Amino acid sequence: MVKITIDGKQYEVENNLTIIQAARESKIHIPHFCWHPKLTVSGNCRVCLVEVEKMPKLVIACSTQVADGMIVHTNSEKVIKAQNAVLEFILINHPLDCPICDEAGECKLQDYAYKYSVGESRFEFDKVRKPKRVELGPNVMLDTERCIMCSRCIRFCDEIAKKPQLTFTQRGDHVELTTFPGECLDNPYSMNVIDLCPVGALTSRDFRFKARVWEMSSTDTICVGCSRGCNIKMWVRNNEILRLTPRMNPQVNDYWMCDYGRLNTFKHVNAANRIKAPMIRKEGKLVEVGWDEAIAKVSSELKAYKKPEIAAIGSAFSSNEDNYLFVKLMGILGVKKLDIMPHIKTGDQDELLIREDKTPNMVGTREVGVKPDSNEFGFSSIMNDIRHGKVRALYVLDDDIAADPNIAEALIKIDFLVVHASNENETVKLADVVLASSSYAEKHGTFTNFQGKVQRNRPAVATLDHDRILDGMELSRLDKFGSHNDRWTQGIKRDTRATWRIVNMLATAIGIRWRYNTCEEVFNEIAAAIPAFKGLSYLKIGTNGALLNLKKKSVTVKD
Amino acid sequence: MSDFTEKLLLPEIPNLHNIDVYEQNSGYQALRKVLEMTPDAVIDVVKKSNLKGRGGACFPTGLKWSFMPKQSSKPKYLCANGDEGEPGTFKDRQIFEFNPHLFIEGSLISAYAMGVQVIYVYIRGEYVKWINLLQKAIDDAYAKKYIGKKILGTNFSTEMYIFPGAGAYICGEESSLMNSIEGDRGYPRVKPPFPAQNGLWGCPTTINNIETLSNVPLIINRGAEWYSKIGEPKHPGTLLFGISGHVNKPGVYELPTGTLLTDIIYKYAGGVRDNKKIKAVIPGGSSTKWIRGEEIDGVRMDSEALKAYDTSIGTGGIIVMDDDTDVLKVLARLIHFYHHESCGQCTPCREGCGWMEKIIKRFIAGEGKLEDIDLLLNVANNIEGNTVCALGDAAAWPVQSVIKKFREEFEKRVRKIPIEKKYVPPPHLIVEKV
Repeated sequence: MVKITIDGKQYEVENNLTIIQAARESKIHIPHFCWHPKLTVSGNCRVCLVEVEKMPKLVIACSTQVADGMIVHTNSEKVIKAQNAVLEFILINHPLDCPICDEAGECKLQDYAYKYSVGESRFEFDKVRKPKRVELGPNVMLDTERCIMCSRCIRFCDEIAKKPQLTFTQRGDHVELTTFPGECLDNPYSMNVIDLCPVGALTSRDFRFKARVWEMSSTDTICVGCSRGCNIKMWVRNNEILRLTPRMNPQVNDYWMCDYGRLNTFKHVNAANRIKAPMIRKEGKLVEVGWDEAIAKVSSELKAYKKPEIAAIGSAFSSNEDNYLFVKLMGILGVKKLDIMPHIKTGDQDELLIREDKTPNMVGTREVGVKPDSNEFGFSSIMNDIRHGKVRALYVLDDDIAADPNIAEALIKIDFLVVHASNENETVKLADVVLASSSYAEKHGTFTNFQGKVQRNRPAVATLDHDRILDGMELSRLDKFGSHNDRWTQGIKRDTRATWRIVNMLATAIGIRWRYNTCEEVFNEIAAAIPAFKGLSYLKIGTNGALLNLKKKSVTVKD
Repeated sequence: MSDFTEKLLLPEIPNLHNIDVYEQNSGYQALRKVLEMTPDAVIDVVKKSNLKGRGGACFPTGLKWSFMPKQSSKPKYLCANGDEGEPGTFKDRQIFEFNPHLFIEGSLISAYAMGVQVIYVYIRGEYVKWINLLQKAIDDAYAKKYIGKKILGTNFSTEMYIFPGAGAYICGEESSLMNSIEGDRGYPRVKPPFPAQNGLWGCPTTINNIETLSNVPLIINRGAEWYSKIGEPKHPGTLLFGISGHVNKPGVYELPTGTLLTDIIYKYAGGVRDNKKIKAVIPGGSSTKWIRGEEIDGVRMDSEALKAYDTSIGTGGIIVMDDDTDVLKVLARLIHFYHHESCGQCTPCREGCGWMEKIIKRFIAGEGKLEDIDLLLNVANNIEGNTVCALGDAAAWPVQSVIKKFREEFEKRVRKIPIEKKYVPPPHLIVEKV
């Protein structure tokens, strides 16, 4: 530990830190473009220049190590002059197209121009022209003129994604970011360069020009693309998800997420094939009905079968709470044939984030009790039983099991198929009753990732069940101040419900008196009933998750 | 000042580039002598000689060598810097052409002193002829076991390779030079870490100028004390002054440090063409600050004396400009060079050099504004000291010194007639009067 003085205050810091790291730990912000906590130091933007007493020149805070007795000034006259100078330099060739730039509103250069520049330019010449709209790869678009040559994207590809695909060419103020000959920016993590880019040089081809960032609400939630459970922010305008961005969690995903998760885990929420209300098959066709009718139908039908004739398939796509109540209800009904369908994509795994297990909650689903007591109740045995007519009623939680043609073939034999689903899919096509469940973006819940980390999922899209304002969801400016005739206050609200709530409704219809009003209450019961969850609460899980107590492995379901 | 007239680096011996001739003139004797000394003793001799680096920074060579770790699990490297990109500088190629073995011997001694296994000679790619000449000399030295495995039967081994540059001024900067050898973009590195700790491929590395290394055998042969008394004591030895511009006999002249600038111009370089007055002199290559013609009397050419004139010896590349010179055009050309050669890595130099060029060109076009002079100075000041490497400073210094010393030249070019702002309506709005 060394003692250093920053702006007149003394701090004791680790001796292997640089000034910028030490200042950051002490909550002092030193402006920076090229420096990033998880990338190597390149020291090229020069905006982090600070004054260190007894050093002849200003030094860059990002590469200068702290030393005992060091006296640092981050806002002396000399430093402010240097910051003004660097900002002026960066801006002379930077296009002033903020009004059409996607980055506007979350742009480091914009923010710093307000904070650290004199506010006007003395540059009276033509700016350097460079290529616009360069398709760097399938997901990323480059505006070379906006680039401030911080090299973060290059270092990300080299150091984090381990795919050296980007480089600079040319010299001086003609330097251009580009891909290596014969390469394109197509690594599985390519879109992180968009978040890393401090300006609007790198933009998402999926999101660009869709919305100004201040029009959206952003909700802290998690990605459901695989069992990693990357922490993300979900950006919503007009009750429609427009993009996902990674949210820093050092134990799970650092600052990153994969392109697959970013692009493919939210579109179904907005999709046209959403199930908008519960449905019952009448005369061979699924027709929308009210919740009461649908629940009553399931309740009465299930009573018509003997216990061994009923099987249940939980879902590793659903939350701990969803599965817990499902297991609990099945226990009460005496259903023993209970399992989940695995979704392992063998080989699709890497060192950084991507996991083979494509479900977000396999560990949690097992822990809350969705596991057969013996092999004869396992998933493949259940399917065999269906083929042999031993199982006649099947209850499937949110999982498209019939996407596998072999299973679809078996399901035709089922007399009564209940399905929870958010979107139309192969299983829904065969269902007798479809219970319109909320997608992960529309409900509270906890998911347990492959590390055993329990993480919270928060609703970002309002439903008839979840009101944006009454339920304390994140609000955009439009949500707060838009009037009912504004263009972007007209978003669709669907009549879907969280799976745990649907199960609760069904239990009530069957005659079980459960009193769960919120998802948190279900979780509190899990924490009390299941040793692995002992001591956990929504508060404790917080924004960064909490680990399961996995040493004691026993799962019992309270009835 | 000393009346030392001997030519040490470029003695007038015919065919000295030939290894046999070099050997007959006590060639490779210093190496033999050194191989019987301890490496530390060699460094001590160089320290005592007070030899200063000839690349421009005048850093004490012996001290630089002593920064190299004595024990290292990694290989150690020596990079001999013959990039010679500085405009006005053309001294190292004389060594390559006329006395290459002196340089090779100096490099080997330095390698021995620091325990270096590999020497890279970085030569600018345009020097095709000199690369070939040096390669011949290296091959000859290999053949005679001066380089390679078990040199002269001792346990000391070192290899020597030429690495031709690809045409970037920045690669003469020591850390860009290492990046260039590694096959990367010629970008200067942020220091610390310094090359002696973390240099070429992360290994301990020392970078010395060709001329610096060429002085080493002389020091070993004739003693540190002898050497330290040549010329100015704080910056001893002879320098290869490359003089160019409006002189009658441009060329490389080997003279002791502390020689009068006027002597170099009038006694050796044959005076100014047509006996014109001198308007300005750049004393040490394009990066050094200018001296006005009226100031040159009594200027001595060594690192200490030039400090008093707020400039530096640089690489000893003297550029003389006579009275007919348009200093703004010269400055514009220089700044164009720095703009063109700025690597583009760090912000102030990347953006500032282009901006300075644009402002100066506006003056040349007679469109300058009075406030542009201070703007230009301010831009230069904003670059200086705020960059990764010294290229930013090198671009700022000429601008600062020309504004300081030739401000009237700028003022002459200020636009006299104000731009008239007369409203001219578009054609469709011009109503012809009846």
